[in-house]
Amino acid sequence: MLNAWRWWRGIIIAFSLVAIGRLFLPLPFVNEVLIFSIYTIGCNFLLGRVGFISFGQPAYLAIGAYGTAFYLFYFGTNPYIGILAGVTAGFIFALIVAPLFVRLRSDYFALVNLALAVIIFYMMQKVLVKITKGDNGLWFLTNITSTPILDLTKPSDFFIFALLIAIVLWAFYKYVDGTIFGACCLATKINETKFQFLGYSNFRIRLMAFVIANTSTALAGCLYAVYLGSVSPEITSPSRTADPIVVTILGGVGTLFGPLVGTIAYTGLRDVISKMIGNWELFIGFILVFIMLTNSSGLYGGAENALNKWLEKARVSNLNKKKPK
Amino acid sequence: MDIQLLFSGVIFGLSLASIYFLISIGLSLCFGLMRIISLDQLLYYSIGAYITYSVVTVSNNFWLGIIAGVMVGGLVAFIVERLIFRRIYERELTFSMITSFGILLGGIGIIKAIWGVIPRPIKPPFANQINLLGTDVPAYRILVIAIAGLVYIGIWLFLNKTIIGKAIRAGIEDMNHVEGLGINASRLFTITFVLAGALSALGGGLYAPLIMVDPSMGLEILAFVFMVVIIGGLGSIKGTLISSIIVGQVVSIGSLIYAPLAIMAPFAMMLIILLIKPTGLYGNKLNK
Repeated sequence: MLNAWRWWRGIIIAFSLVAIGRLFLPLPFVNEVLIFSIYTIGCNFLLGRVGFISFGQPAYLAIGAYGTAFYLFYFGTNPYIGILAGVTAGFIFALIVAPLFVRLRSDYFALVNLALAVIIFYMMQKVLVKITKGDNGLWFLTNITSTPILDLTKPSDFFIFALLIAIVLWAFYKYVDGTIFGACCLATKINETKFQFLGYSNFRIRLMAFVIANTSTALAGCLYAVYLGSVSPEITSPSRTADPIVVTILGGVGTLFGPLVGTIAYTGLRDVISKMIGNWELFIGFILVFIMLTNSSGLYGGAENALNKWLEKARVSNLNKKKPK
Repeated sequence: MDIQLLFSGVIFGLSLASIYFLISIGLSLCFGLMRIISLDQLLYYSIGAYITYSVVTVSNNFWLGIIAGVMVGGLVAFIVERLIFRRIYERELTFSMITSFGILLGGIGIIKAIWGVIPRPIKPPFANQINLLGTDVPAYRILVIAIAGLVYIGIWLFLNKTIIGKAIRAGIEDMNHVEGLGINASRLFTITFVLAGALSALGGGLYAPLIMVDPSMGLEILAFVFMVVIIGGLGSIKGTLISSIIVGQVVSIGSLIYAPLAIMAPFAMMLIILLIKPTGLYGNKLNK
């Protein structure tokens, strides 16, 4: 019982804070934070655990979003089935591209992935214009029916749904971090030759990690689609490809709550700054360069390190006090 | 398809290939020598185009604009190298990639602040057509191809005949030995980076009359430049030349056959090549 509490403690505290924040902050902001942090955690897992720097996350986001959008626009009305359709689409897409991508060296991986995001953008904007309606996007807010228990057409109910999804996802990633699979991911990042020597397959571990991370990214896309009630190619535009990377680095690479903290800081700053000056890219660029040059471990990473150091110090001084007796 | 259309398609493809070559050669050289992925080459490309635009509107002389664009592009590359890249050469590859993407985004923000977001047209220096093998082709495109050819010859001579070029080639093989021979590595890096930036700016200046100049032009061409670099193999100059010609032709001929093919075909080709050879056509193993 105590162990279970200890395991869940961090997640419950973090998301209770988000739930409390819901009382003070405007609802669209909190919803945006939840969806965006779900979007970022996949990227965080890839970058921090597997060592893949993925500039192509928007591609998977768009696949999820368009999967949901096609279902809700052309076929059905139930948002839950729409989300399921989007996640399935994202899973299948990740499964198709994964064997090709994970063989590549990290630099080629990053370049090919970024190229993929741009290609998906062009595909949605120009090539599939008959289905996706091009730049206008698909609008299906009125198509979504209300469901009895959690009505996703209401932003307040959507918040509860997104919160539940986020808690489940965080628990899942925490669980994965603790399993042998998570340790394997870290091992292939740090020393792939030795890892191979131990008898594991780099390819298989990376493939699994890639599919898991990108399916969760697609899930964020589905949530965006249902929440906004519309999807346009803008979701994967080349200037937005850096967003998840920025948030991951801002929050702290490889930490469990880095994406959440990073998202809150990023979305908050964006809302404040885009009101003052219209030039948002300039700001992201400078944040990115600044964090990289100062070599800091991000907001949450830095706070975690400081806290650990402080706890360690307190423990050591306690021990010293006890020693004489 | 009649032969005249095909021929003008080939010329169009070659002029595209020239631009791709000028930009991706910088990326490739930087990777080969310094082991960084410098996405900010696309920023120097935009800067080259914008400076060319500004000078042309003021002085009405296109060539003056190109020269100013190349010089400003090189200067910005010099400043960025001294301020930022200097500190991150020793780091991992992905590190330089994230940082340079930050520089690219920040630079685009600055461009938007100075020139605004409206696309701007530039008049080509001459609009007349040349009759080549019974087909009328725009003279300016032929000129772009010729300049890219000259640049390739110039780079070849520079790398093979001058002592700095030879040091760069040796550095691509093994940087530690070059430093051991008493060659100033940091100066070598600066020279290469500025050269790369200036060539990207030249590409931007030359491409500007063929398209509109707008702030996100760097992001638009990004996918194609990546495909060129990946197909050719990072760090190889010959590979970059060959793959830029391939990509240029595929884009041009592909769009003649079926318009959406222009974007999808090079991407599909890149995936197939990576499936066969994960380091690109002429890329070699990375030892870092």
